[in-house]
Amino acid sequence: MKVTVKSWTGVATWRWVANDDNCGICRMPFDSCCPDCKLPGDDCPLVWGACSHCFHIHCIVKWLHSQPQQQCPMCRQDWKFNNK
Amino acid sequence: MAQKIDDLKVYWNKITYAFPILNDAIFSDCSNTEYEEVQQLISGLGIEIKIRDLILVHIEKYLRQHVAPNFWAKFSKVDEEIKGFQLFKSAVTDLYEAVSSFSPILCRLTILNNNCNDNKPIYGEKDVILGFKQLVRATLLSQLPLNFHIIINHFYKVSFNVFDNEYENSEMAEDVMCSGCLNEYSDCNCAYIVKVFHDTNRKLMDLQLLERLTGQVLTNFIQMRIESHIQKICTGTFDISHIGFLENWLDTTLMTWLTRIYCAGSSKPPPDDKNIQNAISKFKQKLSYFLYHSYTKLRIDQLFNIIIEYPDSQPAIDDIKLCLDKTDLRPTLCKKLQNALETRLLHPGVNTPDILTAYISTIRALRHLDPSGVILEAVTKPVRNYLRNREDTVRSVVSSLTEEGAGSELAEELAKFAAEADGDNDKDDAWDEWNPDPVDADPKVDSNDRRASDIISMLVNVYGSKELFVNEYRTLLADRLLAQSVINTEKEIRYLELLKLRFGESQLHFCEVMLKDILDSKRINALIHQDKSIEELNKKFTSNAMILSAQFWPPFKDESLELPEEIKQHLEAYTKSFEALKGNRTLSWKPHLGNVNIEIEIGTKKLDLTVSPFNATLIMHFQNKPEWTIDELHQAMKVPVTILRRKITYWQSMGLITEKSTDFFVLVDSSDSKTNVQTSQVQDMICEDEETESVMTSAQDQREGELQVFWSYIVGMLTNLDSLPLDRIHQMLKMFALQTPGTECSIQELRQFLDTKVRTHQLVLQGGMYKLPKT
Repeated sequence: MKVTVKSWTGVATWRWVANDDNCGICRMPFDSCCPDCKLPGDDCPLVWGACSHCFHIHCIVKWLHSQPQQQCPMCRQDWKFNNK
Repeated sequence: MAQKIDDLKVYWNKITYAFPILNDAIFSDCSNTEYEEVQQLISGLGIEIKIRDLILVHIEKYLRQHVAPNFWAKFSKVDEEIKGFQLFKSAVTDLYEAVSSFSPILCRLTILNNNCNDNKPIYGEKDVILGFKQLVRATLLSQLPLNFHIIINHFYKVSFNVFDNEYENSEMAEDVMCSGCLNEYSDCNCAYIVKVFHDTNRKLMDLQLLERLTGQVLTNFIQMRIESHIQKICTGTFDISHIGFLENWLDTTLMTWLTRIYCAGSSKPPPDDKNIQNAISKFKQKLSYFLYHSYTKLRIDQLFNIIIEYPDSQPAIDDIKLCLDKTDLRPTLCKKLQNALETRLLHPGVNTPDILTAYISTIRALRHLDPSGVILEAVTKPVRNYLRNREDTVRSVVSSLTEEGAGSELAEELAKFAAEADGDNDKDDAWDEWNPDPVDADPKVDSNDRRASDIISMLVNVYGSKELFVNEYRTLLADRLLAQSVINTEKEIRYLELLKLRFGESQLHFCEVMLKDILDSKRINALIHQDKSIEELNKKFTSNAMILSAQFWPPFKDESLELPEEIKQHLEAYTKSFEALKGNRTLSWKPHLGNVNIEIEIGTKKLDLTVSPFNATLIMHFQNKPEWTIDELHQAMKVPVTILRRKITYWQSMGLITEKSTDFFVLVDSSDSKTNVQTSQVQDMICEDEETESVMTSAQDQREGELQVFWSYIVGMLTNLDSLPLDRIHQMLKMFALQTPGTECSIQELRQFLDTKVRTHQLVLQGGMYKLPKT
């Protein structure tokens, strides 16, 4: 007997490779989206700061807009986007 | 003295000559002039009142002893209708003659009475003739025999048959028998019967006995006729309205007949006689009420069938609607329909989809019958309660909501709702058609709610919440999306849009993401297939992936499966490619999900199959090594032995693997011709993987997961307090753990949860007390 696989359709779930499960600002899981968004993933991506903390991009932008100083809400260091 | 006695004798003879009744006779030759003499004699003696009273006593005696017994003697029990007819006729004729023969005496008595001048009423009447008639009636009715109605019934039956026949048609002329009198045409009796009939009725009317004697019998008889007529006409068909026809029948056939009885043959009541007109119109009111009543009753008995056939049976529903206003049968209707539903629908022998179909029909039909929704609410309560207890209700509703083609009324309903949602709100225009709620309405419920609720919301309300529904839809959608290799996303999106109109955007947001995942996966697959490293691997076979956003899908059943090395490499390459495509993201595979297209060559035969990854893995193992024990398979695939045993049956049923001895499986050699035949047969039977069970955790499992939170509390309780009964545990949980909203837990749920713990030996139940097992 010989078995030939012609096509294999697997099922996988995607997740962000991040050092935490939840966004520190909105407390939603990273794999979900921020409260303002409806679709996760490409439409609501994560960003990493130089301090290595990461957030939903919409959350951190909102945060930075509301603050006089551009600081990471977790560690109070100056916020810089880490474009790795 | 002797002279006087002789005089008295002469006087008495004269008086008895004028009033023979004093000697219990009726006939005398006394002429008017002779009577004047007697009258003067009586006046001269001043004994008018005494004589009058004496005569009356004798008349009464005579009636009682002769007339009445003679009359009733004819009322014997006979079976033949025509005999009864004759008997009644002769009885009435004899009575009439007997009564008529009193007229000379009455004539004289009137003169005598007029001379009395005491204005004493005669048997309650002011006039001798009237008083006499009253006396006749009273005497007759005082001796009413038990079976008197039988021959009266015969009499009217015969005559009605004749009448009916005469009225209805003459086109049955080829018949040898006259259907009126059941004689041969050559000596048809109809004309005679009609004549006798009218004659008798006239006599009865004259005696004012018609209504008293025959009223009850006549009513009973006509009611029977009505009932049998309704039965004859209205069985079986629900698609014609009968009420107009029946009213017409009552108006023409029955009423004409009645009028003829009352008016001695003429079909129109005399315009000057108010009494007869009143009597007839009263009779008609009674009869039309009875007509509506019996018609409605019949329809109520058939209501279940009518409902099942709705909307074809709409005319019948219209009829009932009309009749319900005229009768007081609403409570009967509710009760009977409820009983019918319970006996015919709400038992384990009926499939849930069938119950739902019937429920939907009921909603539609009763909504038409009673727009206020009160009957509906009352009648369907048991159905709702029952549906709530069926596990597959939600599933059935959801799948019929989304399935296409025949039998999916709900899908149509959903589409209709979408169409209606656009523009109505003409409520205010119909203010003048407003009706108050019926008396049996529950005052606590807003009548607008009741009126407004449509079929889908009534179905959803079976559970009292939308969430459960939406969750079930999500699970079903997930199953469908994962099971189908080719997904008709467009159709799914269309249904999702329809559902969103109904349940609101937020509830179905998850489903939207799920659909988008599937669409995105296709795109990502296409992108990844362009990757060089994958392209190389894909030469052997193509690998696709469905990439899901785990947060938005229902929880998957956790099952482990070790895939063959070759496949694992492939999927790893896919993951790498994905990571390159989407920065900072990675994939975790669910190895047991998905589907695999494989081709199996045995000898000259080729099988093309789509199977689950599990089955593919299993058969691939057998490709390398034809004999496996269950433990070896367990080692290789990392699947629990029980599941292995269960699932290997798929290949056994295909005839590719046999269990040589317990837990030892062998690949069937292709050279074995016998099994080859079997294989080809099996191939015809099973082309698709037979696994249809859901890959999602069931709602119950999910709930159990939620209850798991309380487990630590319960363990704590039982360690401190040794053993506790169920309700104490529930109380304590309520006090400490159940205060946060969204964590309600009924005592039944808790019992179920604890029982599962008992089954897994994490708890011990002893005499109604839960205990931790001793370690």
